[in-house]
Amino acid sequence: MTRYARLYAYFLRFSFSRAMEFRLDFFFRIFMDALWYGVNLAFFWVLYRHSGLLGGWNFDQTLIFAAGVFVADGFHMTVFANNMWMFPILVNKGDLDYYLVRPVSSLFFISLRDFAANSFLNLLMALGVLAWALIRYPEPVGLDRIAIYLALMGVGFFINYTIHLLFLVPVFWMHSGEGLRDIFFTLGSYSNRPDGIYRGWIRRFLTTILPFAIMVSFPTRVLFGGNVGEILLHMGIVAAVAFGVLLLFWRLGLRAYGSASS
Amino acid sequence: MIRVRSLSKTYYVHKKAPGLMGSVRSLFVRKKTPKDAVKAVSLDVAEGEILGLVGPNGAGKTTLVKMLAGIIFPTSGEASVLGHTPWERDNEFRRQIALIMGQKAQLWWDLPAADCFLLLKEIYRIPDEKYAENLEYLSTVLDVKKDLNVQVRRLSLGERMKMELIAALLHEPRVVFLDEPTIGLDLTAQRAIRDFILEYRERHKPAMILTSHYMEDIERLCKRIVIIQDGAFIYDGQLDDVVKTYAKRKVITAHLRKQDGSLPERRELERFGEVLEETDLQVRLSVERPRVAEASGYLLENLPVADLAIDETDVGTIIEQIFQERREQAE
Repeated sequence: MTRYARLYAYFLRFSFSRAMEFRLDFFFRIFMDALWYGVNLAFFWVLYRHSGLLGGWNFDQTLIFAAGVFVADGFHMTVFANNMWMFPILVNKGDLDYYLVRPVSSLFFISLRDFAANSFLNLLMALGVLAWALIRYPEPVGLDRIAIYLALMGVGFFINYTIHLLFLVPVFWMHSGEGLRDIFFTLGSYSNRPDGIYRGWIRRFLTTILPFAIMVSFPTRVLFGGNVGEILLHMGIVAAVAFGVLLLFWRLGLRAYGSASS
Repeated sequence: MIRVRSLSKTYYVHKKAPGLMGSVRSLFVRKKTPKDAVKAVSLDVAEGEILGLVGPNGAGKTTLVKMLAGIIFPTSGEASVLGHTPWERDNEFRRQIALIMGQKAQLWWDLPAADCFLLLKEIYRIPDEKYAENLEYLSTVLDVKKDLNVQVRRLSLGERMKMELIAALLHEPRVVFLDEPTIGLDLTAQRAIRDFILEYRERHKPAMILTSHYMEDIERLCKRIVIIQDGAFIYDGQLDDVVKTYAKRKVITAHLRKQDGSLPERRELERFGEVLEETDLQVRLSVERPRVAEASGYLLENLPVADLAIDETDVGTIIEQIFQERREQAE
């Protein structure tokens, strides 16, 4: 475990060194994400001018939820997104070869090799928005609830990564992952809205099979008195099953990997 | 150290009819045809041996190497590398092998090679002392010590390849797969890399499999070669024996003194074989092996020979001939 932590420290170091080389991209990303945060906050602000509650949450609660969405997005963009973007290219060009001959987990290498240092400032910005939303929340929220919220957000990040990679793994067989990647991003927008707005079978689907609706909403529920045990169990089971399925498909994918001729 | 028995790899490829209609049809109906990349091959490679894998493009060389490095799964057959089944990819196996591909980079493009080596040190758990010792040795022998802190993308192709070799060998692998390590390099760099591989072999005695399109790599580095065509081995033996087995002719070159008289009739020379060249200063004949003595005697007797040389056909030409003959047979 400590070896993997040391390896990740190298990835961080390399990624920061590289990001500094491309200054324009560095500032452009910050601008783009700030714009996205603004558009999302404005969206909820407009909605609450016409309704007092949305999926059972008032504006202050939804503001915390939205800040959580920014943090989840910032985390995914910083830690995983570049790696996910590269993965189909590595498979199709046969560049996975060198990852497979190393005595470390290929899944670890593929998933975490590139840390998007230029998105890191956005993550900090999103955490700032979250802190602001929590501070301005009119009712008291215990520190224990905040700690559980943050831990569950971590589980949500993990589920998001797992599902994202599950949408990409078929590239081993299909060789073109663009369609599935687009579906993932479309479905991903379901995690940007409070889960309370989904009803019936759509809700069941989005909280179990493709659990986009639980990633940020469920941790946020803990802050407003949600049942911690129930939420913890639900998210824990979803995370374990999703990761188990990912490992299975990863192994099958590597069996099907044909590399590319040189 | 490497043992392979009846190893095969079949890919399934779909062929699309040309044009828009072909594309539309392939959207709904796809006929997959099997393509045997490697056909039931067997071989053994011993410690300290460099086996040359020779074959035209698409012969199956790289597929075989990738199966043995554990990158791709075979369709059938067995392989054991250092007692491990490569495609099971256990860490103990991967810690002891190295793969160098001339056409693919393993180093991080935007970083100095020295940084990449530190990452590899961690990946292979190389102790500090061993790492320092190996890096010093490899960078000195390859003469790239001064470039270790230069960004990889700013290095020349030759320097980059040397860094790739260091990256692959820092952990002292016991089995090394070299897939076209000199491709695209200038002659000086090619020579430097060949010299280094020999030096490294002397020092560490790894088992090596080398694929290359450059016959000079093969001639300089390998005593034993395997010739592979269309996925099957057509020769496995000593490099020298290729000449004996397949070279049915020798080339006789007679350098002539200045003379007043005329050369023998071309017809006379053609009795012995093919006349490759016939000038006032030189005559070159390609002659079947059993008739070499007779033809040499004739030339010495009938021409003002100053010097006479009898050469084997070079290995590259012989191998090319073998491929050509087999292609013609197949057609």
